[in-house]
Amino acid sequence: MKAQVKEDWFRQDRLPHIFCVGCGNGTVINCVVDAVYDLELDIDKTVFISGIGCSSRAPGYMATDSLHTTHGRALAFATGVKLGRPEFDVIVFTGDGDLAAIGGNHFIHACRRNIDLTVVCMNNQIYGMTGGQGSPCTPIGKLSTTTPYGANETPFDLCELAVAAGANYVARWTSYHAKELRNAVIKGIETPGLSFIEVACQCPTSFGNKNKLRQPIDHVNFFRKNAIFLQKAKKMEEERKEIPAEAVIVGEYARRSRPVIGGRI
Amino acid sequence: MMKQLTINETRCKGCNLCTMVCPYKIYQIGTTPNRRGIYVPVLHESGRCTNCRLQELYGRELCGGCALICPDQAISWIPVPQYKKSNIIIEY
Repeated sequence: MKAQVKEDWFRQDRLPHIFCVGCGNGTVINCVVDAVYDLELDIDKTVFISGIGCSSRAPGYMATDSLHTTHGRALAFATGVKLGRPEFDVIVFTGDGDLAAIGGNHFIHACRRNIDLTVVCMNNQIYGMTGGQGSPCTPIGKLSTTTPYGANETPFDLCELAVAAGANYVARWTSYHAKELRNAVIKGIETPGLSFIEVACQCPTSFGNKNKLRQPIDHVNFFRKNAIFLQKAKKMEEERKEIPAEAVIVGEYARRSRPVIGGRI
Repeated sequence: MMKQLTINETRCKGCNLCTMVCPYKIYQIGTTPNRRGIYVPVLHESGRCTNCRLQELYGRELCGGCALICPDQAISWIPVPQYKKSNIIIEY
């Protein structure tokens, strides 16, 4: 069944969703739905898969078939769906705690095998659902429930990890760059092989509350001011200029054609 | 068919992200709470919206930044009947 209007992609009986006021996950859902609506995908032949966490509630609001799986194992389930039914478009919603902490091994091996999936990672830099514990993506010096004096571990750079592991399309955007994010999801679905799109999004309740970004607008303005394009960051590196510590480097990290598993026959 | 900008009050949670993103400053921060106690943004001269004015001319969706960034899927455009020329009164 093809969608006539964009609202057909949502389960009307489940909305409004339970995300907090100003949560970035809603923006990401909007962008992904806009992308799949623009591509005119079949509602019956699209599958949304997620693990555990705030971000992973997203498939519950979709009208398509969806799987809400165990913590960190969304990519393992998605691999099974894609290899079982290669004609389906499989989109995985995960968070940073789900993908980088517990499902880290599944992530690098899904990238290595280059399975034809689209992975959208909503990186809110914290474990939002369980009360704001520090995650592997919490930046240095930021406060959370488990790092009350500021995190002192170096955070993961998920995009560089995906590039090194061999994903075919890798991009990072923030929840402020909604149009670019939508275009990145369109490119990701069109590219055969694993396409990984990381979205830095705001969490006003758990992250912003402790880090002087209390209002959703403050955090989105933070992304707007601190986002640096990848090309500019590379140029700054060449000129030996220092990139600010809290900068979010956005852009398209990789687009290539390595051999693919589970592509359309 | 013309399009008109609307905010779905049952979905809006009052995060005011639309007030920040609109280039024409159509959305103004609400001052009175609605039935659910939420300060829904107020539309100020919504006819200035690019999508309302030019969608028919270009035949595709323009701008749409507010609808994309709204975390609660509350912003949409509803079709309204085109106003007739006979209804417009020009005062000299």
